[in-house]
Amino acid sequence: MNTPAVSVRELVKYFGDLRVFDCISFDVDQSSLTTIVGFSGCGKTTLLNVLAGIEPLTSGSAEVGSGKDRTARLGYVFQTPRLLPWLTIEQNLMFIRPDDVDEVTHRQRSLHYLEMVGLKGVEHKFPYQLSGGMQQRAGLARALCIEPAVLLMDEPFSHLDEITAAGMREEMLRIWQETRRTILFVTHDIQEAIELGDRLIMLDYHGHIFDDIQIPLPRPRSFTDPAFMDIYANVMRSLLRMQAERAEELQVTPVK
Amino acid sequence: MSLALDTPAMPARPPWNQRIAQNLKDLVFNRRWLAFVLFLAVWQAFSLRMAGVGLVPSPQKTISTIWEVLANGLFFEHLADSMVRLLAGFLLAMLLGVIVGVLMGSRPFWDEFFKDLVILGLSLPGLIYALLSVVIFGVKLIAPVMAILLASYPFIAVNIREGVRALDKDLLDMTRAYKVGRWRVVRQVILPALLPFILAAIRIGFTIAWKASVLTEVFGASSGVGYMIRISFQLFAVRGILAWSLLFGGVMLLIEYGILLPAERYFARWRPKVKQVI
Repeated sequence: MNTPAVSVRELVKYFGDLRVFDCISFDVDQSSLTTIVGFSGCGKTTLLNVLAGIEPLTSGSAEVGSGKDRTARLGYVFQTPRLLPWLTIEQNLMFIRPDDVDEVTHRQRSLHYLEMVGLKGVEHKFPYQLSGGMQQRAGLARALCIEPAVLLMDEPFSHLDEITAAGMREEMLRIWQETRRTILFVTHDIQEAIELGDRLIMLDYHGHIFDDIQIPLPRPRSFTDPAFMDIYANVMRSLLRMQAERAEELQVTPVK
Repeated sequence: MSLALDTPAMPARPPWNQRIAQNLKDLVFNRRWLAFVLFLAVWQAFSLRMAGVGLVPSPQKTISTIWEVLANGLFFEHLADSMVRLLAGFLLAMLLGVIVGVLMGSRPFWDEFFKDLVILGLSLPGLIYALLSVVIFGVKLIAPVMAILLASYPFIAVNIREGVRALDKDLLDMTRAYKVGRWRVVRQVILPALLPFILAAIRIGFTIAWKASVLTEVFGASSGVGYMIRISFQLFAVRGILAWSLLFGGVMLLIEYGILLPAERYFARWRPKVKQVI
């Protein structure tokens, strides 16, 4: 429990001239569920991409697992399912088999996690034969089947209707409690963040961490619970303050 | 025209012999034959009208010539020669076209580099390559091969370039997040995504290739279908020209229905069926 599951140190990231992260640092505890919120374009997805090794970082470090263990596995659930359309669901899960796992074991795990996300019986279907929600579940099963040290989730339910999304959140919590995977969950939905997370990290426009809030509420959580509403109001106040500061800055910046 | 997606449960695949039987049935009981019958009727009427001149042979006479060259094996001899040239040239064109297409699709430098060459290649008629190759290389195998290569590769290159440009970056990012090996990515992500474009490239490249190969044979070869067409022409035997052209066309249709279409159908089985509404 002592070594953090994710460790970000003085991370700086530029896209050309655009500064996305200006020296941010944070740790994420093992088996915790941390949400990352912020306005659109503040770099939430980029943070996950840097952790996943899709995006190179400019300086600093972003490590998953303990310092030496760089082979720690990562599961990534994207905004859209990103399944290979020409492979069946089972083949899609087999496709990402890590080299150190043999085929039989990986197939067993694939089927196990497909069952866990409620997709038993559709292993041999192609993605187009499933609904959007089912495809997203398949994406979740794919992330789980490599038994990752950390699960990165990038607004995985934002493309689903609210009822489906609510069901998926509930199931995700159940799966999290069963598997105790560390989860880093990006969302722009404050209510979703408070409902799910142990902790909420808020990014601002300048690539800093604006706020870092612990959410010690018992689960299942309800929006109508006064404690929930308190936290919600707090987070909203933070966001409004962030926006007010932003507006002020934009006013003093001379218009070209 | 509007399209509707039709996504029924996948029916079980019938065994291969039933599928072949079905394909044959589709081929025989097809309204396309109606077009052939109409074509024959017009031809017949035309040849009767022109009977006095004697330059347009009737379908019966042409068919008897077809039968003749089929029966005495002459057709297969020359077809084999033509096919060797065609395949050699086409495979080289495919190789060059894929290399150029991949470079153009993935590297801006090479896109600029090849752009004008490819546009020129697309627009120059195959006749020019055929004439040039015959003048330069004479009757050697390299003449038709060069003509086919030059005429055909630009069409392959542009198709492949579009395919490479259309590769889904999100899927490639996914493979990086899961640290999937390069070879597996090429085989399971890039090739399947390029397949429709490769098939389109094969289809158009092959058509251009066989036109170029027949042309070169007409001008400079001592065997092959194009050579026989020239001989017929020199003998003023119109029915020979028609017979050899029709036979070669028939072979191309066989390749289309026997190889290209089934391949396309096989590789598209993961797609939702698109039903044409209007």
